[in-house]
Amino acid sequence: MIENLTPPATPDALKQARDDFPILSRTVNGKPLIYLDNAASTQKPQSVIDAANRYYSHENANIHRGVHLLSTEATAAYEAARKKLAQYLNASDESEIIFTRGATESVNLIAHSFLEPLIKPGEEILISHMEHHANIVPWQLLAERTGGRLRVAPIDDNGNLELDACLSMMGPKTKLVAIVHVSNAIGTVNPIEAIIAKARENGIATLIDCAQSIQHMRLDVQSMGCDFAVFSGHKMFGPTGIGGLYGKRSLLKRMCPYQGGGDMISHVTFDGTTFKEPPSRFEAGTPHIAGAIGLGVALDYIESIGIETIRDYESQLIEYAVNRLKSCQGVEIVGNPDHRSGAISFIMENAHPHDIGTILDTDGIAIRTGHHCCEPLMNRFGISATARASIALYNNSDDIDALVDSLAKVRALFG
Amino acid sequence: MCADLQSLYRETLIEQSRNPKNNYVLEGANRRSELKNPLCGDVVTIYLSVSGDRIDEASFEAQCCSICRASASMLTTRISGSNRLSAISLAEDLIAFLNESDSVIFENDDSLQALSGVKAFASRIRCATLPWEAFQKAISD
Repeated sequence: MIENLTPPATPDALKQARDDFPILSRTVNGKPLIYLDNAASTQKPQSVIDAANRYYSHENANIHRGVHLLSTEATAAYEAARKKLAQYLNASDESEIIFTRGATESVNLIAHSFLEPLIKPGEEILISHMEHHANIVPWQLLAERTGGRLRVAPIDDNGNLELDACLSMMGPKTKLVAIVHVSNAIGTVNPIEAIIAKARENGIATLIDCAQSIQHMRLDVQSMGCDFAVFSGHKMFGPTGIGGLYGKRSLLKRMCPYQGGGDMISHVTFDGTTFKEPPSRFEAGTPHIAGAIGLGVALDYIESIGIETIRDYESQLIEYAVNRLKSCQGVEIVGNPDHRSGAISFIMENAHPHDIGTILDTDGIAIRTGHHCCEPLMNRFGISATARASIALYNNSDDIDALVDSLAKVRALFG
Repeated sequence: MCADLQSLYRETLIEQSRNPKNNYVLEGANRRSELKNPLCGDVVTIYLSVSGDRIDEASFEAQCCSICRASASMLTTRISGSNRLSAISLAEDLIAFLNESDSVIFENDDSLQALSGVKAFASRIRCATLPWEAFQKAISD
């Protein structure tokens, strides 16, 4: 079969996008930077960088506690960011958005505050074989503390979730299904609709790890019907150290606090403390105010282009990348999922991923090499590491062509 | 190819990576240590047969990159048949040499000097030191 090797046309809304990201004009090892490590962290548009600068230069104050103007302004900006996230995800209420440090902390919060008080010895948490360590380890720790049991839905040799097996593993003992929407390592888009539907039929709570989908496609938590969704700001053009979770209000209201401290209490005496309603109950202490504001600005940036435009363009670009890599001698793509978004993992016959990564770096090309925090997935494929190229809205076919050209150098060196 | 890359992937290193020496499980080893680099998942196992103050034989198994494999090959070649204390001291010196920019100890050591190319690639230094750290663990256990 002749694969389609026609580069995708850049839509008008994305033609100037590269200019919005100042880092993309720097050089690396004397070559123009070609950034293909977006699944690890995306770059930041000037507007997000400016937002942090503006906040610290003109608005900086603590939130929710001052009567002075700066505090009022900072509070309004922080809460406006929450509202933007609620709108972006189509949450029914902005109180359903909790700010955290990122997807990892969000999973830990849900483990601690939602599941731990509910789960009994022998009851189960269902995850998949392609999860990031952030959606494995918190559940293992919880299982150890509670006597709960972690179960793992299998994947096939192409890196697709075995859906029938996954659905059949949901039973009366299952308390939570926690599944990744898009695999960070191999790019598989999981059929979360079918998983959530089956879980809901059986009264099982659902958590969707959206760290690798929120920047690539429209997420509507109400139509998805999940109970929780988690995400990281720095993977969606926002600052590091900020992220969050969506949780259904009915569940959040019943959940216990995650951390104790200021700003999450209604009333404190030495005899006891009462807690605020969500979202404040889960945001103890001074939050990452500048980060939240920056994340809000990152959402503005995504919406200014249009997430549907981004999704359509990226799906063509990733297909182009897959086809170009398939035609590359000595390159073997790891995972051939039915639906892919964002990332491609590959290995080469005689070159270890780290050697690939180093040689590409000298050409100014940034990719990720290693196990991508998915050791069980690597073991499933019988490998210890892959090289991974992952795209964002500012990448284009020239970036992919440069990657392919540089891989020829790897082959020349390692055979 | 840029100069740093040429220095990193010298012929001797590529050759030892393709055809590593002592790359087997040592039957009858009385010391064994596995070390993993959790950042990348690379794993090296060093096997030693030690009698008294002498390392009679050393071998390794690894799932790792070219630099780590070449380094393990060089390590096991160098310490097989050597005095225990001098091997320990060699490992200490080599790890310091690769981690410290002003170290010149191995300037005249042709075989181990081949590893010095990693000094220009901070993220790859551990690739070269991992087998030596595994050796340190094996010999001190």
